[in-house]
Amino acid sequence: MSARPRVGLFVTCLVDLVRPQIGFAAVKLLEQAGCDVVVPAAQTCCGQPAWNAGADRHAVDIAWQVVDIFDEFDYVVAPSGSCAGMIKRHYPEVLKNDPRALALAAKTYELTSFLVNIRGMKAVVAKCPTRACYHDSCSGLREMKVRDQPRQLLKSVDGLTISELSNGEVCCGFGGLFSVKYPEISERMADDKIADAVATGADMLIGGDLGCLLHLEGRMERQGKTMRVRHVAEVLADAI
Amino acid sequence: MSARDAILLSIRSRTRAAAPKPDSYRAPIIPFDLVAAFVTKAEAVNTEVRILEREGEIPTAIAEILRAHNLAARIHLPPNSDVGGLGGLTILRDPPGPDDTAVTRVPLAIAETGTLVQPARNASPASWHFRPGFEIAILKASDIVVHFEDAIQKLKAQDLPPTINLITGPSRTGDIEQTLELGAHGPKALAVLIVRD
Amino acid sequence: MNADPRAFKAQARDALNDAKLKSALGRLKTRFALKRQEAVAGYGDFEGLRQAGRAIRDYSIANLDRLLVTFERNVVARGGVVHWARDAAEAQEIILGILRDAGAKTVTKGKSMVSEEIGLNAHLESNDMIPVETDLGEYIIQLRKEPPSHIIAPAFHLHKEQVEEAFRDAHTALDPNRVLNERQALVAEARAMLRTSFEAADAGITGANFLSAAEGAAVIVTNEGNGDLTRLLPRTHIVLTGIEKVVADLDDVAVLLRLLTRSATGQEISSYVSIMSGPTGERPGSAFHIVLLDNGRSKLIGTQAQDVLRCIRCAACLNHCPIYSAIGGHAYGATYPGPIGAALNPGLIGDSTYHHPNASTFCGRCAEVCPVKIPLPTIMRHWRAKEYADGLAPKAMIAGLGVWAFAAKRPALYRLGAKIMTRALKLMSRDGAVHSLPLVHGWFAVRDFPAPRGKTFQELWRERA
Repeated sequence: MSARPRVGLFVTCLVDLVRPQIGFAAVKLLEQAGCDVVVPAAQTCCGQPAWNAGADRHAVDIAWQVVDIFDEFDYVVAPSGSCAGMIKRHYPEVLKNDPRALALAAKTYELTSFLVNIRGMKAVVAKCPTRACYHDSCSGLREMKVRDQPRQLLKSVDGLTISELSNGEVCCGFGGLFSVKYPEISERMADDKIADAVATGADMLIGGDLGCLLHLEGRMERQGKTMRVRHVAEVLADAI
Repeated sequence: MSARDAILLSIRSRTRAAAPKPDSYRAPIIPFDLVAAFVTKAEAVNTEVRILEREGEIPTAIAEILRAHNLAARIHLPPNSDVGGLGGLTILRDPPGPDDTAVTRVPLAIAETGTLVQPARNASPASWHFRPGFEIAILKASDIVVHFEDAIQKLKAQDLPPTINLITGPSRTGDIEQTLELGAHGPKALAVLIVRD
Repeated sequence: MNADPRAFKAQARDALNDAKLKSALGRLKTRFALKRQEAVAGYGDFEGLRQAGRAIRDYSIANLDRLLVTFERNVVARGGVVHWARDAAEAQEIILGILRDAGAKTVTKGKSMVSEEIGLNAHLESNDMIPVETDLGEYIIQLRKEPPSHIIAPAFHLHKEQVEEAFRDAHTALDPNRVLNERQALVAEARAMLRTSFEAADAGITGANFLSAAEGAAVIVTNEGNGDLTRLLPRTHIVLTGIEKVVADLDDVAVLLRLLTRSATGQEISSYVSIMSGPTGERPGSAFHIVLLDNGRSKLIGTQAQDVLRCIRCAACLNHCPIYSAIGGHAYGATYPGPIGAALNPGLIGDSTYHHPNASTFCGRCAEVCPVKIPLPTIMRHWRAKEYADGLAPKAMIAGLGVWAFAAKRPALYRLGAKIMTRALKLMSRDGAVHSLPLVHGWFAVRDFPAPRGKTFQELWRERA
């Protein structure tokens, strides 16, 4: 292992399509943590929408593609608990414990937990004078054990206070295709989460998964609410 | 083919991974003082507990409890069961009704959960623990064991009776608005007299 | 009044719009989830207990036939009778036969989800028998002629005013001017009314929480004591149970009991645990019958859904499920709602329950709290994959995924498509968001879509370099 590890950035389709600034923020943070970051051009999707929908053949094809593209790196890091979780927790099942899949899974991480647990990052240099609340995505929390790491780094952001949600462990109602297949249930779950966020008095919602954030932000816009929504990478990279 | 054969065949024809016989489970250790442990657990679930030094104190304790609960000086005692010295009370031998008080002897109890172990025998029919409004159970301190498993082991030393009732506290329900109310069908109150031998 | 699983979406919509239901469902957190959390924290090594519970249940499934045969032998040796039923119809007929032979008319019932599963009450009623539910929650919903909405708390969806109304309508012999707006009064009234039923019953039917093979024992767990009054007073006691409930011995039951009560209600033990091996009725000549029901359970063995047979029916998964918390149990239109229903029903009932495994975000809380570590989301996904392979998934979704996958496997095409899409979305945005799109009605019915930057990350990254 070289002194500067080679990290393949798994951009995620949502970041690529909607919020490229999150990708740039992730690169900045990884470089600050002493990594050489490569962004493979051939990457597309982790295959989770297909896998969760039971479209197994599509999921297998896409997973093999990801393995081919990323297995050369020392680490694979995604600014997303759900995409990292797909590779780390589910690729072994998708690809029937193929050794290459297991090897990739072993070195795949969500961004903030990689920075803290693997690179030992303790603080960032950033400024964000606001009261915010933090939304833990279910996959980040349960699949990738991401909870303390983003909070630890956010503590070092100048002027930022984090107020905890009362029901932080409850799903926001995104769930990928669930959000369009069962919109009314998804709406109720979003409203509960938003009410929780508003009750903290925060004027910013920060989270680690863009799917959750677009769902919550989209619902808040429909309701005319003005709370800002940001990805944790943007806040930590001083790029809000 | 009988239903029995069909079901067994259906099970046997499926491929199952073998699963090893699990190791015996070791339940959490209880503090050394079993009486104290029993009392803590029992009181936490609305069981009234009194500790007596001798058998002879039982009649007074029963009379006091009845007075404290504003109950008549009348108890139901199972046939073939005896409690000496109950002079001041009316003793009935027929099964108790929903507002009556029953006095029973309990041969075994579990400290882990504050539970009375009542094997049903003809002398104390099981329904006596469910019919009355109030049950007063008499327990010897030396009959308290640590865990459920210990109780079963003791019962198996003699033939396992057809019913074993494990009783922890009075009858309760949370079925209305998930809020606890006592006395759903079984007794509304339970008292245990622990006699240190 | 049974809902239809195929009408899940409409039933869910009705539930979401029901303010009374919403208020009742708020109790899931305060009454169930918090209590469970306290009980788990108080136990010490709860994770070790879960591992032990899983191992016991896996052993049961792996040795199910042998354990059932041992159980049967020991029940018979102690004077009981064992019946086997392949499906609901067979179980109904067996039970009816036992009751007819016993000359029974009024039958008291302890809470039994399996009896709901086979529609027993309706069958008995249409054969001139009178089943009387004695679990307070079951009694209330029997009066209201509706099914249970929760596996352990059948009347969970109701407020006490609704209970009062049901009692006033049914208990017509009582003084109409009586005060009945307190829970205690309602419980006292039910106690009095049902005591009469207990004493008058010709037969009693209960479920079983566990079957213990080594002792030939059935174990029932209640807080009310109704299960015991049901089985002790009449001359005939019938235990109706699924075949998967059997474990090796009472030591195994001890472990599962510790898990069950903590996971269900946060109790260390329920008020009454009754271990019955042989006839226990107090009248002379009492009979003890066990009816072992398959009804689709055995065919799950050896499949990717096998682990669902570990279930000990604690309902912790329901209590922690955000979908169940939003819509309640009736919307599912099946005996078993929530995550366990989603994992079980496609196997037990079939394709009509398509929505059950699909109406999940795979948040994973259910698997986290399951006392026997059933990988519920994994099993739900397995049912989704089966439905997809059988062509039962919605055509639009299959087509959409097909297009997406086609592009995702062709990086150059994907990058081009992404460039086009991000620009199109940006163009369609007004005031920072897209407000509607004809193709993705499900999203825009309730949300806007925040406007994208307008260029993809990949193209910006290449520009930088």
